[in-house]
Amino acid sequence: MPTPKSPTPETSTPASAAPAGGASTGTAFTRAIGLATIIGMGALAVFGLFISPADVRQSDSVRILYIHVGTVWVAYVAFAVTALSSAAYLWKRTTSLTWDRFAGASAEIGVLFMALTLLAGSLWGRLSWGKFWVWDARVTSTAFMFITYIGYLAVRGLGGSHQQRARRSAVVALLAVLEIPLVHFSVKLWRGLHQDSSVADRTHVTLHGLMLFSLFVALVAFSLLYVWLLMHRQRVLAMQDALDDKGLDYALQQRRSEGDA
Amino acid sequence: MEDLGFILATYLITFGSVATMAAFIVRRGRRLAAQLPAEDKPWI
Repeated sequence: MPTPKSPTPETSTPASAAPAGGASTGTAFTRAIGLATIIGMGALAVFGLFISPADVRQSDSVRILYIHVGTVWVAYVAFAVTALSSAAYLWKRTTSLTWDRFAGASAEIGVLFMALTLLAGSLWGRLSWGKFWVWDARVTSTAFMFITYIGYLAVRGLGGSHQQRARRSAVVALLAVLEIPLVHFSVKLWRGLHQDSSVADRTHVTLHGLMLFSLFVALVAFSLLYVWLLMHRQRVLAMQDALDDKGLDYALQQRRSEGDA
Repeated sequence: MEDLGFILATYLITFGSVATMAAFIVRRGRRLAAQLPAEDKPWI
């Protein structure tokens, strides 16, 4: 655990005197990303619900897949970022708690999106397979991955210093990410109900026109949302760590300044 | 539109969940930022 720095009156601002306009996690960049995300989500709702045609085989239930594929895409990316950030933390040249916070923030987002993936898939499954849940290889391995990352978040919540948290959770993240290829290729490794790739096979694109564009809108909108959530959540975690390290110093300093006044 | 209930439920739950998470993060960020000096907020 790092030695907490005691702020001196000459170099720091008491907590009560935080500068106006700086009391948030937003910047001009994140506000731009946020605006683009809102536009993207609006476009997804319009294209997914109204403009995209019904599928010949799946009828209107295909509209659920724009959400299902978009959310699982973000979950995969989020868990991959968690693993990469964890590796960066463990590598001596780049050891920094910032990497650990990116890993934790990304995993939290990934867990939410994986839950939404399972939910959307369950509703789609009820319409297409007649059941909310089947013990299919893809579905089951996805649920297993979801539980694994809940375990990862639980490991992050164990006691100890920030460095201890970072080290043990980084190891778990590097093991957990091995599940992504297992989940992705489960439809090929084991025969099941879950369909193979909806967009393209090895030789040509199998999804065309407005359906393909609607899916593209979903992927872009959810990716922008992921970036916005990641940046804000990482900053919240950084402030939480700073408060853990120096919160008592700030409280004492504030109390002294109140006493002097 | 067929199966409207299932489709709307998917969209509403998804949008509602991410909006709730975003609101939670922003609110928590504002609360913490108010307790810390600028030196702990390098993005400002």
